[in-house]
Amino acid sequence: MSNPLEQSFVKQLKENQNIVHKICRLYTSGEDAHNDLFQEITIQLWKAFPKFRGDSKFSTWAYRVGLNTAITLYRKSTRTVATTDMEGKKQFIAPDDYNFEEEEQIKLLYKAVQQLNDIEKALVFMYLEDKDYEEIAETLGISEVNARVKMNRIKGKLKKIVNP
Amino acid sequence: MNEELDLLKKAWKKDANSYQEVSEEQIYAMIHKRSSSIVKWILMISIAELVLWTALSFITVDENYLNTLELYHIDTVFQILTVLNYAVLLIFIYFFYKNFKTISSTDTVKELMSSIIKTRKTVQYYIWYNLTMFALIFIVVVISQITYDPNLNSVIENNKDLDPQIFWIIIGLTYFVLFAITFGLFWLFYRLIYGFLMRRLFKNHEELKKIDY
Repeated sequence: MSNPLEQSFVKQLKENQNIVHKICRLYTSGEDAHNDLFQEITIQLWKAFPKFRGDSKFSTWAYRVGLNTAITLYRKSTRTVATTDMEGKKQFIAPDDYNFEEEEQIKLLYKAVQQLNDIEKALVFMYLEDKDYEEIAETLGISEVNARVKMNRIKGKLKKIVNP
Repeated sequence: MNEELDLLKKAWKKDANSYQEVSEEQIYAMIHKRSSSIVKWILMISIAELVLWTALSFITVDENYLNTLELYHIDTVFQILTVLNYAVLLIFIYFFYKNFKTISSTDTVKELMSSIIKTRKTVQYYIWYNLTMFALIFIVVVISQITYDPNLNSVIENNKDLDPQIFWIIIGLTYFVLFAITFGLFWLFYRLIYGFLMRRLFKNHEELKKIDY
């Protein structure tokens, strides 16, 4: 078999792949873009893996590297505002309790999140992941107060987009 | 206040396990994509080489050089060879480009491996082509020089009293040493640049083989 470092990386990433999928979900729209970002994050994680000493959990580390990759990538590219809608995405299976009205609103919300900037998306992502402000601040390298202020601004922005 | 985000959070949690699963093999293929960056280097170096040779030929071609070619009766031959050389070089660059495209778009280990093998072969052909071409040109120049060069011929005239056998052995040895040195330098150049990339590519290939799906 291949080298042990590689094996352990592939195994852990496979187990924690949802983290990467979720980052892709917020930063991209469309299956191709999703897969491209997934691959890019995987490569960055693999490059950084030798430095990952296991002082933190793989998942915590993957959050940080994955988000940073997405932020850097989407800062570089001229903002591709989500024009493709989220419908017809094979990746997401419709839940059993399908509530049309709520579903529409969620779609709208996802679209609204897509219009936020790279850092704002990262904040939303960590909020959705139930991270507290302390962790958000640490991961993004900003102060806790700043994180709270930014979060409030995002909430306002989303409200405005959803209920114009 | 934040009902929107809470609604989104609910959907988010529901979505959490609905992503298309990526297999271990796919992850392996992804992290071995660095092959594509090696192949990109091969492509870039081959283009740089083309530019370098073109620039060199512009610098070295002067009246003197053209006169010598004419004197040696190889001006036409050289023109044909130059055109041929550029054509073949461009074809190789096209192949390198194609290999690069294939490697960067594939996502299975198997395809990646076969593309690596193909790239290696292309590079080997490329090196052999260049070395053969060099040898060919060298031989053409030597023959025409012996036949037509006035200086060399006067040297031959002046050494009439020397044993012709010994004379030709000296000439032959001189050319041989000259050839060995220049050919060796060429060979070293290709070994160093492409050999380095090839080794990395090969290592990658060996690792992929061990994944063995």
